[in-house]
Amino acid sequence: MSVQRGGLGRVTHIIGEGLEGRIANRHLALFGLGFVGLFFVLPILLLIPESLSLGSTTPFESYRRVMNGIYVDAFVRSFLYGFVTTGVTLALAYMLSYFLAFSTERVRTAMILIIVPLWIAYIVRYFGILLFLSPAGPLADVTGFETDLLFTTPAVIIGLANVYLPFAVLPIYNSLNAIDEELVNASRVLGAGKWRTITKVIFPLSLPGLVAAGLIVFILAAGSFLGPAVLGGPKQTMIANVIAQAFLDNFNIQFASALAIVYTVLLVGLLLVFNTLFDLQEVLGNI
Amino acid sequence: MSTRTTARLEGVTFRALITLVFAFLLLPVLIVILTSFTPQNFPAIPQEGLSIKWYQELLADQRLLNALTVSLLVSTVSAILSAIIGTITAIGFVRGEFPYKEQISTIMLLPMIISPVITGIALVRYFSTIQLPSGFPALILGHTVLSLPYVFLLVRSELLTYDRDLERASRVLGADPVTTFRHVTGPIISPAILAGAFIAFVVSFGEFTATQFLISPGTSTVPVVIYTMLRTGLTPTINALSVVLIVVMLVLALASRKLSSA
Repeated sequence: MSVQRGGLGRVTHIIGEGLEGRIANRHLALFGLGFVGLFFVLPILLLIPESLSLGSTTPFESYRRVMNGIYVDAFVRSFLYGFVTTGVTLALAYMLSYFLAFSTERVRTAMILIIVPLWIAYIVRYFGILLFLSPAGPLADVTGFETDLLFTTPAVIIGLANVYLPFAVLPIYNSLNAIDEELVNASRVLGAGKWRTITKVIFPLSLPGLVAAGLIVFILAAGSFLGPAVLGGPKQTMIANVIAQAFLDNFNIQFASALAIVYTVLLVGLLLVFNTLFDLQEVLGNI
Repeated sequence: MSTRTTARLEGVTFRALITLVFAFLLLPVLIVILTSFTPQNFPAIPQEGLSIKWYQELLADQRLLNALTVSLLVSTVSAILSAIIGTITAIGFVRGEFPYKEQISTIMLLPMIISPVITGIALVRYFSTIQLPSGFPALILGHTVLSLPYVFLLVRSELLTYDRDLERASRVLGADPVTTFRHVTGPIISPAILAGAFIAFVVSFGEFTATQFLISPGTSTVPVVIYTMLRTGLTPTINALSVVLIVVMLVLALASRKLSSA
């Protein structure tokens, strides 16, 4: 039986016949891999020779500069803020997730409310926090309550925790939701109180989700540019800000590349340490 | 105190805490929207009537309108490119068989893992090496690569749940691969592709950190303009522009969610 083929159908048919047997599904994967390779992986790898500036009279100069006090401070600050933000975010996310997983009321609405901020640009959300913390801002205007938090470390942590909170809720909620209710009931029937059930049964079972959430929040927070740029002062500069500054203000691509590479190496090193404590593949599977 | 009262007290405290966390999460965005309607010259909560004068200001500002056009253009084109590349690649990963498939697929996710500052400097440097003009070409390529992981994940998960026998039937009945895609696979996964394109648009529309390196004079995007304005002082025009951004992003994200869960 032959099917009548018009215009486009005919063209696709000819292409299809031509491709038949010659191109397999796995070749399609190469399309995206090639694109990401050419316009992402290669550009990032090229930062390595860039940072070394081997051809110049002072190779490795950039790396010597990275050891400079103010840059070491920025590295330490990035990891420190990353850890603190992760702690704060996980505590808040755990409460929200617990509420979502174990309450019977309007969970869908609550879930939407948690996800909605994810769809709104970071810059707008940081702007909102800036308004909140402004000494003469709208909140101070209405309530008369003034904070002098703006451009301090707590302001940056508040901003980062606010922005990354939804990312943490999803994996924790999933792991809490997967807990077999029979286990919780058994714990209660066998005489454990509510808190004992939470600490001895629910919490240990939700650990994989918690670890996954912590990993995401840490990576995002430590590498944040906008958080410290909008809410911090000169003393809250994190590594992303230093890299951007080296590039945009001082046009020093070598130095910016060296900072980027040192940061990436440190982050990967940290992930490898993390991998010895938790199985990274398994953690990523929980995301 | 009886155990029952303790339990009730615990319940009430917990609910109060949850309410506070929700407030913490949502109030920053709400305050941006609310203060955009102030009649004052400062983003204040309007107490004596609402005003839309800052939106009128927005419509009269050529620079802001230009940024809006640039953003819409860049996000539309990069969303389309991202949807095409992401879909083809997702099909390859789901239907194809090759060693280390799972491990290799993480390469597709790298753009969402590496800090966008690093992506930004790497791309701007690379584009100047290959002599790709800054501005539109750089922005579109950069945003395509940054939003690609989202489309890839979305279409891949959709493909994993769909019945492959339909495809096999089409092939057995004599249709070639391209015709099969056009008449069978395509129509089934097209809501997912569209959902992916919308999410790619949202990612692109809000991207700031890598974008600040890729713009050229005259091709500032909305987030870059908001950031620049924030540094020079607070005016409610920033709020009005933010609200436009919020509306565009939310509408598309909700549409995407509807399509992908359908």
